[in-house]
Amino acid sequence: MKLKRRTFLKGAAATGALVGLGATQTEFPFQGLMKVDGSDQTTKKVFQNACPRNCYDTCSMLTTVEDGVIQFVEGNPQNTYTNGTICVKGNVYPRTVYSPDRIKYPMRQKGRGSGNWERISWDEAYTEIAENILKIKKEYGSTLPICLNKYSGNFEIMHYGIEGTMSSIGYTTRATGTPCWPAGIDAQTFDFGTILNSDPEKMQKSKYIILWGVNPAWTAVHSMNFIEAAKANGAKVVVIDPILTNTAGKAHDFIQIKSSTDGALALGMAKYILDNGLFDQQWLEKNSKGYREFFGYLDNNITLEWAAEKTGVSVDVIENLAREYATTKPANIWIGYGMQRHTNGGQNVRAIDALAAITGNVGLEGGGANYAQLDSWGFNYHAMIHPPPEGSEGEANRPVNMNNFAADVLAAEDPPIKMMWIAGRNPVQQDPETTLIKKAFHAMDFVVTADLFMNKTVELSDIVLPVTTPFETPGVNVSYWHYWMTLNEQAIKPLHESKSDVEIAMGLSEKMNELEPGSCTYPTSGDLNEWVGKEFNETILEQFGMNTWEEIKDGPVKMKNMEVAWKDGKFRTPSEKYEFYSEEAEQFGHHPLPVYVEEMKSTEDHPYRCITPHWKLSIHSQFQDLDWMEAINDKPYVEIHPELAARHHIKADDLVKVYNEIGYVTVPAKLTRTVQVEEVVIYETWYKNLNYNVNYTVKAIPADMGEKATGMPGIAFHDNFVNLEKV
Amino acid sequence: MGRKMGFVVDSNRCIGCHSCSMACKNYNQLNPDITWRTVYDIKEDTYGQPTRITMSLACNHCDIPACKEACPTNAYEKREDGIVIHHEERCIGCGMCVYACPYNVPQFDKEKKKVGKCHLCYERLDNGQSPACVSSCPTQAIYHIDTTSLGDEFAKSLPGFPDPEITKSTTRFIKPSIVRKL
Repeated sequence: MKLKRRTFLKGAAATGALVGLGATQTEFPFQGLMKVDGSDQTTKKVFQNACPRNCYDTCSMLTTVEDGVIQFVEGNPQNTYTNGTICVKGNVYPRTVYSPDRIKYPMRQKGRGSGNWERISWDEAYTEIAENILKIKKEYGSTLPICLNKYSGNFEIMHYGIEGTMSSIGYTTRATGTPCWPAGIDAQTFDFGTILNSDPEKMQKSKYIILWGVNPAWTAVHSMNFIEAAKANGAKVVVIDPILTNTAGKAHDFIQIKSSTDGALALGMAKYILDNGLFDQQWLEKNSKGYREFFGYLDNNITLEWAAEKTGVSVDVIENLAREYATTKPANIWIGYGMQRHTNGGQNVRAIDALAAITGNVGLEGGGANYAQLDSWGFNYHAMIHPPPEGSEGEANRPVNMNNFAADVLAAEDPPIKMMWIAGRNPVQQDPETTLIKKAFHAMDFVVTADLFMNKTVELSDIVLPVTTPFETPGVNVSYWHYWMTLNEQAIKPLHESKSDVEIAMGLSEKMNELEPGSCTYPTSGDLNEWVGKEFNETILEQFGMNTWEEIKDGPVKMKNMEVAWKDGKFRTPSEKYEFYSEEAEQFGHHPLPVYVEEMKSTEDHPYRCITPHWKLSIHSQFQDLDWMEAINDKPYVEIHPELAARHHIKADDLVKVYNEIGYVTVPAKLTRTVQVEEVVIYETWYKNLNYNVNYTVKAIPADMGEKATGMPGIAFHDNFVNLEKV
Repeated sequence: MGRKMGFVVDSNRCIGCHSCSMACKNYNQLNPDITWRTVYDIKEDTYGQPTRITMSLACNHCDIPACKEACPTNAYEKREDGIVIHHEERCIGCGMCVYACPYNVPQFDKEKKKVGKCHLCYERLDNGQSPACVSSCPTQAIYHIDTTSLGDEFAKSLPGFPDPEITKSTTRFIKPSIVRKL
């Protein structure tokens, strides 16, 4: 039997399935054009899957499996948002599953960071982890010295079992907050009462679309289809961004704004709309609170000249944009996450929300100020919610700020943090202040990481546990942008010795109870397919128009009546109105109105702003590490405007040291006029063979908002100021 | 006149997301360093002011395929419908086609010691399906069509594409609109 290497890798997974089949059949997909005989001897089945990554699109996928081996992953056309297609990252999934780089079995590292790993059994891993937990509990009288850091690596609902693992052993310390989007969440919570966007498929009904600090061509590809549809229906598309992105390349007009001044542009537009009587008085009277105060603020504080000076956008352009936006209905604004990663990001989102409100675009089909939604997430979180063991010390978990993780971990006292459990996160690559993060890891007595690949966080762990891909364990997924729910079926047997996070929780519970009966409340067994059913309740079934949860097995379902956010005018604020004037905002230390808060400025030593947005071939540190992806791109770059490059005698492809007072990153230069002269752009991601990490220069500066809705303020990732040096 | 199946590349709708390129790899299970479809950035100042626009290219299924002309073992076939296919079992991996093709389409697979290239997913077409790249494009920016039916509104080239006349490429393009920077 002549198996090629990759055929072998795949075949190795299909234990037993190859037996009795000749070589020609098993080689079928790899043989180019050779005809295959006896294809009816193979078993071929198509499974439903869902992409669980931290992404707007949360694709519904179909996976073709033959003889237990994945042959092809494609989009499921039953979901009309993802519309039968998946992105570049979804298309790489067969390689994710069968990558030779996957962590295959539990391992122990002798010396954190040494690379001296040895294979251990699951029983040894569970024993070592359980003994450490019990030792800590004995020494400190509680499990609070154990800290969980879990977040966005996998948003499938059963993966909240990771939090359940910790809850079931007692009260622990939790990395709390969300790095990505909380300033905008709070802003919309003050204005509307919560985040709620219209069904993005309705964007095609818009006549005017402003894509404000969002780059769906790279980060929400399926939405581009509805934007193209709107264009075909005669809509105008305007992109406002510091970078001329691939999305901007598809727009009619592009406005290049100085980073972090979006609020000034919005307020300048609002002033023009006010002065020219283009606002919707009737809507404001009926639906809002405090618009007169807001108009008073505009009258007394805002001029178009000021807005132009702040933003770098001329008065003419602001006037024209404001006039077009206010007079073309319905007009949709999509507010991106990038633009709120600033020390004034939340206020800037409030100012943009206000534009939609004063023009009466809130509650209109094809209108709105669309940011995100969490209304479709009302599951039971059965895998997550478990009581602490009887007699557990303490009353509640202890939060530490996920967005200032290293400093908070190192500063924790009474008791200190001694052990970390990391799952669905890669803080050593992705958190700000990498140097400090490493210090925090080295300060631990014990670090456990569950992951797919040997990433930078695994490198600083004592034990690594191999986890399953979405194709190897069942679950259910929803999006924070569209309103579809997709069942994730187990399509293949887990490869190697990988286990799902829930199975890990069960295995650990068994060991804990063996060593100390009653020390862990997590169930020690259960059928994971049944557990998916336990995530459903009456409310969510009704929202999605299902009688029983099993109906999801027939294909993705869409939540009902979400076409137009706030159509009923029942806002979830204390006044049940849209709140220009928010007492809640005031309670959290902000001005009650959407006012301009000064943006952070560069310094003499660090004169350039460094923006670190998402990269097209990855979601944070996932996907770019795979060899299939490396074939498209295998090295990062810093985008520098030719004028700035000339100032530092930098030519194309020269290695450039981008540095500030906390660290540096060295990257080749890409000269481009699509970025601004005083701003450089480096995309955040992880290349497995490169020592490349943008976060050595990124400080854990808090964004202005996030505390109300998510417990902690966000991170002002893009308020990072650097200098350049040709290497 | 015979049919000339080929690709239409709509650079007005292409968003540069690379889904097509990876779908090709996903479906055809290509070795890691082999890419049959590639998304290229069009030089940013091609149309005057800078912008970011892209074009997605695979085999151009030429009327006069240079690969076929160059192949000493007759591994290439120009089908009646115009699709140029490569018969791997006849390939000796000499690489003559790799040098002959002006578009760098045939790829030498070091592991197989043979060449491979896009065959327009002809077996999917024969099954009434679209090529993997076409069916994976989120904005319908690529499609396959009998290009003899296309009029002059379809360009034969875009900036950066080699001279299509040498081999009579059947790929047709829709030009990108250029964003107005205010």
